[in-house]
Amino acid sequence: MTAAPIRLLVVDDEPQIRRFLKTSLTVHGYDVMEADSGSAALRMATTAKPDVMILDLGLPDQDGAEIIKRVREWSKMPIIILSVRGDEAVKVAALDQGADDYVTKPFGMNELLARLRAALRHRLQEQGAEPVFILGTLRVDLARRVVTREGQEVKLSPREYDLLRQLVIHAGKVLTHRHLLREVWGPAHVQDTQYLRVYVGQLRHKLEADPTRPQYLLTEPGVGYRLKVED
Amino acid sequence: MTEDRNDPELRPSPDALLVEAAKEGRGRLKVFLGAAPGVGKTFAMLEAARRRRADGVDVVVGLVETHGRQETAALIDGLEVLARKRIAYQGHLLEEFDIDAALARRPGLLLVDELAHTNAEGSRHPKRYMDVDELLKAGVDVYTTLNIQHLESLNDVVTRITHVRVRETLPDRMLEAADEVELVDLTPEDLLKRLHEGKVYVPHLAERARENFFRPGNLSALREMALRRVAERVDDQMVGYMRSHGIAGPWPAGERLMVCIGDDALAPFLVRAGRRMADQLKAPWVALHVERGTTGSQRNAEGALGLAERLEGRTSRLVGADVAVEILHFARRNNITQIVIGRPQGGRFARLFRRSLADALIEGSDGIAIHVVTPPRPAKAARRWPVAALPHLSAVVTAVLGLGGVVLLGLAVPDMRSLPNVGMLFLAVVLLNAVRHGLSAALLSAVLAFLAYNYFYTEPYFTLTVLHWHDVLALAVFLVVAATTGTLAGRVRDQMAGARARMAALQTLYDFARRLGKAKTCDELLHAVVLQAHRLSGRPAMILLPQNGMLEIRYSWPPDDEIEAVDKGAANWAYNNVEPAGSHTGTLPSAKWHFRPLRAGAGAVGIFGIAGAPEALPADLAQTLDAMLDQAAVAVERIDFARKVALAETLAETERFRAALLSSISHDLRTPLTSILGSVTALRRDPGQFGAEARGELLATIQEEAERLDRFVVNLLDITRLDAGAIKPKREWLQVAEVVETAARRIAGRLADRRLARNIPRDLPLLRGDFVLLETVLANLLDNAIKHAANARRIEVFASVEQGMLCIGVSDDGDGVPQELLPRLFDKFFRIQRRDRTVAGTGLGLSICKGLTEAMGGTIEARCPAADGRGMRFTLRFPLEKQPAPLEPSEARA
Repeated sequence: MTAAPIRLLVVDDEPQIRRFLKTSLTVHGYDVMEADSGSAALRMATTAKPDVMILDLGLPDQDGAEIIKRVREWSKMPIIILSVRGDEAVKVAALDQGADDYVTKPFGMNELLARLRAALRHRLQEQGAEPVFILGTLRVDLARRVVTREGQEVKLSPREYDLLRQLVIHAGKVLTHRHLLREVWGPAHVQDTQYLRVYVGQLRHKLEADPTRPQYLLTEPGVGYRLKVED
Repeated sequence: MTEDRNDPELRPSPDALLVEAAKEGRGRLKVFLGAAPGVGKTFAMLEAARRRRADGVDVVVGLVETHGRQETAALIDGLEVLARKRIAYQGHLLEEFDIDAALARRPGLLLVDELAHTNAEGSRHPKRYMDVDELLKAGVDVYTTLNIQHLESLNDVVTRITHVRVRETLPDRMLEAADEVELVDLTPEDLLKRLHEGKVYVPHLAERARENFFRPGNLSALREMALRRVAERVDDQMVGYMRSHGIAGPWPAGERLMVCIGDDALAPFLVRAGRRMADQLKAPWVALHVERGTTGSQRNAEGALGLAERLEGRTSRLVGADVAVEILHFARRNNITQIVIGRPQGGRFARLFRRSLADALIEGSDGIAIHVVTPPRPAKAARRWPVAALPHLSAVVTAVLGLGGVVLLGLAVPDMRSLPNVGMLFLAVVLLNAVRHGLSAALLSAVLAFLAYNYFYTEPYFTLTVLHWHDVLALAVFLVVAATTGTLAGRVRDQMAGARARMAALQTLYDFARRLGKAKTCDELLHAVVLQAHRLSGRPAMILLPQNGMLEIRYSWPPDDEIEAVDKGAANWAYNNVEPAGSHTGTLPSAKWHFRPLRAGAGAVGIFGIAGAPEALPADLAQTLDAMLDQAAVAVERIDFARKVALAETLAETERFRAALLSSISHDLRTPLTSILGSVTALRRDPGQFGAEARGELLATIQEEAERLDRFVVNLLDITRLDAGAIKPKREWLQVAEVVETAARRIAGRLADRRLARNIPRDLPLLRGDFVLLETVLANLLDNAIKHAANARRIEVFASVEQGMLCIGVSDDGDGVPQELLPRLFDKFFRIQRRDRTVAGTGLGLSICKGLTEAMGGTIEARCPAADGRGMRFTLRFPLEKQPAPLEPSEARA
């Protein structure tokens, strides 16, 4: 860790949450800045240029989706949102607006750190994407369009491959139903979640050791899917 | 004395006591009664008022006409006078008594001149006495003045004596209900003297009429009437006093009088005569009109019935073909002892042929006295009982065509004339017409047939003279037979029409009653009432119900949500006074709508409105409508009660829920908080004292308890959102296996050494529902199995299609629950008490499962034992929906 520490901007109106996040994240080597409102967050995002923003969706002064939209106008910095259970629609809206991932309150530190790592990896990958993805016994060669499990090639239909490809290039990140449907089936099919349910089932049967207990292709209830990465 | 009290005859009459009681809270009315204008009523009233004011009473002049007389004006001086209300009417600005101002001012005593006055159009009530009545109801004492000629029951007598028709009349009840009547008496000589001195103002009378009116003979007669009225009143008061104090006296027997009126000009005369007789007998009375099966306007009868109502009589309308039978039937049912009818109409000759109504009544009236009243001079109006209505034009046409046909046939076939039975052909036409068009048509046809027969078929032909004596006999027989058979056939037809009308009315009521019975909600019921009223009358109808203290249109047909202010006023008046108001009533008759209260118990539960029309509702329709409204009112009340009971139950339920919630929060929130707080304080106080293992133990406690706390809060939120109806399930296509897996992942950490088996076919159809809600249900069911099936080794999640339903379930092989507790499993905060108390559930999980499942359109069932006499099984059932369009075939099997 000789490189400059990664700079996080934590946006939450509750001082207790900010205190616990700052303490825990600093211990893990991050440089943590704090903002207690949407306007302060936007100001600090432009002046201090953090690497990642952790944004609570329940700010009193501004709508979380609005902040994401404003940031996305000029920056691709990863944004991880904090929200409460039962607000799936709000989460999905924020993700569709450009947020990278989410954590549901209350959350454990392990979960948040995993999301942070995934978001940062994604940022690094964009600089020089690796053509081969390896997860356990699973190997996906994006350049040659070949998928193998335990060394055996797995036959995938074109759509199945497209779906897997989307998950692989965003590995570790949550992808909303809307995103996957738009990228794989086209903008006319963003409501047809039944396609996704069936194809995810088929992919699990081909890729997972026990398709009823998936280890790689995980469901995010009410939001979408996530391809697990090895930490 | 005590013995006397026990004698029922000597006990105070309940009726008399009731009358006394009804007067309490009501203002007192004093009437200054005079025989004619100019006797000094207003003067006497003002003098009396000034005396009251000197006694400290709050006296206000509501309205007093001085007619420019100095001495009267001087008496008003110094008294508070209410401003008059200005009403624009046909370009004139009229000044009227302002009842609203009077009600707002609420004086101790209010002076209102001229009780019989007719208010300008657009006032609240058409008559001033109605204003006074409302003031009295509001508890205001009133002094007023009245001339004897304005009394309704004396109206025709006065007209006969003075030859002046008095238009402004007052119901006798107003005078009877007055607490005090003071006769302002002046001899005719003195009055005439005053008149010549110009001290008498006589309104609304032309010069000639005035001369007629103020003749010494007239004035004496009027004075006598006034004196007699007051004397009768004194007698009444004495009798009333004796009754309410249980003093024995010569009471009139329980007479009941009925006036039978037809649809003719005689009707109002009969009503007034009946009223006077009833007064003398001290008997309650009723005016009855029997409508025959024939339809048509009954304007005279309706007018007379209205008059009877104003004269305090009951009224009743019947439909029937045989008037005498209907009258007697009604009389028996109502214990009528005296019947008043008009003199039989028609000349002596007519009476020879037809039995009069009087004859029929006398014959059938055992013990009922029949009074036949003769009008003062033969009224010209033709139609009276029991003369049938004029035949319809189509009846005339049928008669002429039919008889013409027979005649033409006779002319074309000369042999016809020699036929002995040719009269039969004419008879056939007469019968035909009787059957088709009724009694009057029969008589007409019979006469025409007689003439045609005579003219064309008897020698000498083409004259009305008759040559042979046997032809005379034949013609006479023919006329009698034609008239008799025709009359019989016609009467049968009329009776049939009457019966049909009654059937239709009954059918309508029956249909309506059935629909009312079926109505579950108030709105369904009102819908039925309004639609039915609209169907029957062809006019717009509506129902208004009180909402937040205001009457609002609840349902109308055709749909209309606005009425004008005057209609609103009429509706409100009808509601508050539980009396009809608006068009064709005595209150706000200028309104466009006619309103009737839905009476139930003591008050009105709502108001029914029907659009007014130039004509009042026909009698039979009004009666059907009233019957309907009575039924509707009872039903509205019934539904209202049911709603109140349900509301009370909901409130009690909410109260129980709140109590359970409080106890649950205090227990289920505090327990984990205690563990967390205890562990954390221990760790902070002596960080060095704990070994790695002990510290790990404490930290694990903190995490587990915090997670438990989180689950509890989530449950509380779910149950609150369910209660608030805030859960709106999505309807997306779901793979059951995927939902099960997500739920399983959520509870995986708490499974311990139990095995979670899955039994979900790969080809299970997709389920339409909400992923997150279904996952919550399954996670709760799994959590429940883990917590409560302590000794279960195996928990299974299964899914299948059974009888068109998609079933998903969770079962375990634990001990299950006692049978008797099964029905309560889904109740909020219901927990099964265990001896060891090892598992602390919140008692919310299953209740949430039920709520969420039902929100998604499914059902949940608990069964115990599940199999082999052990275990517990919960099954969710969702309707299997048509699956989404299949995927592209090339891909489906790739």
